[in-house]
Amino acid sequence: MNPIPDLIERCKALFFRDRLERELEEELRHHRVLDEAAGIPPLQHTEQVKEEVRDARGVRPLEELIADTRYALRALRRSAGFTLTVVATLGLGIGAATAVFIVGNRILLAGLPYPDPERLVRIYQQYTPTSWGTISVVDILAIRDQQRSFAAFGALRPAGVSIVGSRGPERVGAGRVTSGFFKALRVAPRYGRLIEPADDVAGAPRVVVVSYGFAERALGGAAAAVGKVVPIDGVSHEVVGVLEPGRDELAGIRAPIWPVLQLATPSRRGPFGYRGIARIAAGATLGDAARDLAGISERIFPLWASGFQDSNARLAPVPLRQAIVGYANGQIGLFAGAVALVLLLAVANVATLVLVRTSAREHELSVRAALGAGRRRLARLVVTECIMLVGLAGIAGLGLAVFALQAVGLVAPGLPRLAEVAFDASGLGFAAAATLAAGVLVSVVPLVSLFTGGSSLSATLAGSPARAGSGRRAGALRGALVVSEFALALPLLIGAGLLLNSFLRLQRVDPGFDPSGVYGLAVSLPAGRYATPADVKTFWRRVEARAAEADGVTAAGLAGSLPPDTFGDVNNFDLLDKPVPAGTAQHLAPWSPVSPGFFAAMGIPLLDGRLFTPGDSATAPPVVVVSRAWAATYYPNESPLGKQMYSGGCTSCPPTTVIGVVGDVPYRGLAGEADAVYSPVGADSQDVDLSLNLVVRSRIGAAATFHALRSALGALDPQVAPVEVVMSERLRAALGDPRRWTVVVGAFAAAGVLLAALGIFGLMSYVVRQRRRELGVRLTLGAAPSSLTRLVVGRGLRYAGFGSAIGVALSAFESRWLGSLLFGVRAADPATIALAVAVVMAIAVLSCSIPGFRAARIKPVEVLTAE
Amino acid sequence: MAADRNDLLPGTLELLVLKALSLEPMHGWGIGQRIDQLSKDVFRVAQGSLYPGLQRMLRKGWIRAEWRTSANNRRARYYSLTRAGRRQLETEASDWRRASETINAILRVRLAQGDA
Repeated sequence: MNPIPDLIERCKALFFRDRLERELEEELRHHRVLDEAAGIPPLQHTEQVKEEVRDARGVRPLEELIADTRYALRALRRSAGFTLTVVATLGLGIGAATAVFIVGNRILLAGLPYPDPERLVRIYQQYTPTSWGTISVVDILAIRDQQRSFAAFGALRPAGVSIVGSRGPERVGAGRVTSGFFKALRVAPRYGRLIEPADDVAGAPRVVVVSYGFAERALGGAAAAVGKVVPIDGVSHEVVGVLEPGRDELAGIRAPIWPVLQLATPSRRGPFGYRGIARIAAGATLGDAARDLAGISERIFPLWASGFQDSNARLAPVPLRQAIVGYANGQIGLFAGAVALVLLLAVANVATLVLVRTSAREHELSVRAALGAGRRRLARLVVTECIMLVGLAGIAGLGLAVFALQAVGLVAPGLPRLAEVAFDASGLGFAAAATLAAGVLVSVVPLVSLFTGGSSLSATLAGSPARAGSGRRAGALRGALVVSEFALALPLLIGAGLLLNSFLRLQRVDPGFDPSGVYGLAVSLPAGRYATPADVKTFWRRVEARAAEADGVTAAGLAGSLPPDTFGDVNNFDLLDKPVPAGTAQHLAPWSPVSPGFFAAMGIPLLDGRLFTPGDSATAPPVVVVSRAWAATYYPNESPLGKQMYSGGCTSCPPTTVIGVVGDVPYRGLAGEADAVYSPVGADSQDVDLSLNLVVRSRIGAAATFHALRSALGALDPQVAPVEVVMSERLRAALGDPRRWTVVVGAFAAAGVLLAALGIFGLMSYVVRQRRRELGVRLTLGAAPSSLTRLVVGRGLRYAGFGSAIGVALSAFESRWLGSLLFGVRAADPATIALAVAVVMAIAVLSCSIPGFRAARIKPVEVLTAE
Repeated sequence: MAADRNDLLPGTLELLVLKALSLEPMHGWGIGQRIDQLSKDVFRVAQGSLYPGLQRMLRKGWIRAEWRTSANNRRARYYSLTRAGRRQLETEASDWRRASETINAILRVRLAQGDA
């Protein structure tokens, strides 16, 4: 059959219905006139004929759908408050869930943005099954020369550097890389070339590859950047290439510049701090690579055994994606868990709202049923309305998700691969699926309640008079909804409580110093700017002296690393009187060069022994000052003073002696241990410190102090670009992540509890309305109004209590994601759980008391006469 | 509705309407009259089935409708056969003939057996 005429006729029926009706009317009138003229008795049932013609047009189901939709829209507009609540609740849930889905999908599941990304690995130095570290120059050279399983291998060392661009001196992140790095990733330059093997030979002219954004921003345009010279830490680097736009992150490091990494022949196994990035050759597997690397580890171990005694340490490959996003699992899992709970809560809540609304409309629906609308027709009405509601919420959620994606960076700025996160088709699909699932869940509820008996509507449909009380099945469904809301809200509240608890504990951690009035300048000297180590030492001494004399400064000192969080170098050591067994790893501790003034400026007290003196120089026997926590760990019952150790694995060096014990400063972060070792600035005869922090205590405020320090520094060397550090801000920033998590989960928990409260309030109001008659009878028979209130509140509390019990059980699963974020409190902290339950129950009492009081105020006469 | 005359056999309305319209374009009333007349008043086309039937045939593309002025100067909706309608008439007519001949043959067989 030719479908065209059918389509045309159906379209006419849809869009020109009025004209068709007029024509039909005229045609039938004409027929009647002719009948009369011919003496034939005219037809009586013209309306029936019209109906049959309308049926024959073939658009009846569509017309009914349109009518239902119109009716639903009208009904929703009439109750705008209800509509708005549902759309907002569900929209928020769907929007948040979609955003988290997109983030998780992009960060955790999507392949890395390189060709054949599954062949990329990062190479670690593995000490134990759970302890992984960076690799050293020795490792890099050995892998480069001996490996047989990689198509390309390169090294990366992330660093902060000073550069002088078109906007003056600034500090930027940099990834120093060898030529193999780009080859392994197989990225291509937009302009110019990448780093070649000839570049990473020690002594070759220094070159740098820059990101497109950096070239645009600081080098006067990407196209013109190649050939320009950028001083990086004072060393001129020629820009040889510009990366593709959007390549702001390579192998998990976000950096605008990628200077060449030139490796000198090492004199010992350390220092570590390098990342190996490799591409497994075609035909080789991860297992081949692991065996290859293990072989290399065994071959190089004997060569450097004097300084590196951990014979268990192995070079080991880890898929790059896993290496980059490994720790994001927990963060995204926490997010996803919280969002899933809120989404489910929103659905349960909306279902309750719809249920209550349906009961309020039972009368209207009963009238329709009495007028002849069948079960199916009524069901379609109700479902159409639910679908409209949820559909609107889905659209709102979609819009929200787009905005929420922008917010992800604010909530979790540390997430890897954030730049890749964008709204995509899979996000759209997820939102659609979530909307559909929510639509089904929400529609089923009123249907079950309408048609499973008990309601006046089902009574009308069954043709029997209304009965008091409600159907058992519908009642169980309503109860289950509210119970589930509490079961979902409680894990959220417990999680938020745990995070808040640990945040407050972190806030109370003694940082070991008084941060008010302490300011710092991070100063990096360009390598090669000062000819000899002695010149560099002189520079630092002068800087410290000038800073100490500056206006308002009461104390000044130098330090390699600053607490909390950035412990800079960690050094290994072996105690002479308590050596580690042969073949096992040595102890490690944060290790910072400081000048004596540092302790004064920070306000770190000397507890025992002495601080450094000018006599503790490179020519004198090496000495260190340790923190109290270090002393307590290694010499719990004796004084550490005078104890000796080999540091850095150098057994041929003179041993280092402990000369003093100072107060604890948490270099490993506020939640970490406070062990620390301080060595005197400038006492190392081989390495000279090119980057130090000038730390002062000042009476005159940040702006004036920094001005004074900058002018003191500028007078010595105007080319140095220092970075300002306010210690109190550093301390606050250290609490940034815990604070963010507390706020985020707290917001989800607040939303969850609010939803549960709304849910139980709505349900108990419904119950009171349903049982008005029964309650009225009870009052007539002499029941005290207060007993009715107790009845209602008691029933609500049973739901809340049952739900809370389930919720507490569910919260046991939280520890998996929360565990790593907690400090000083266990995931199963009884006090927090008890408090959360108490809060939830109190809110349940409050929510139920309004319908409870309403029950007590029922006027029996009104109720009984209304029937 | 008149009860003294037979309603159409099921499924034959479309065939009869197509046949009537193959003679000349007609309005609905005319089609009914023509079928009555052609069947010598044995069949009667009920309005209730004629107009829905016409609507269905419009959708199938067998007939088209247009408003014209009738002989007695009234506006009326005239139906006429399309090319597809003409083909459909031929198919249905031959189907009908084959079916009725077969049925007649069967009926004759049963009568012969009854005689024996």
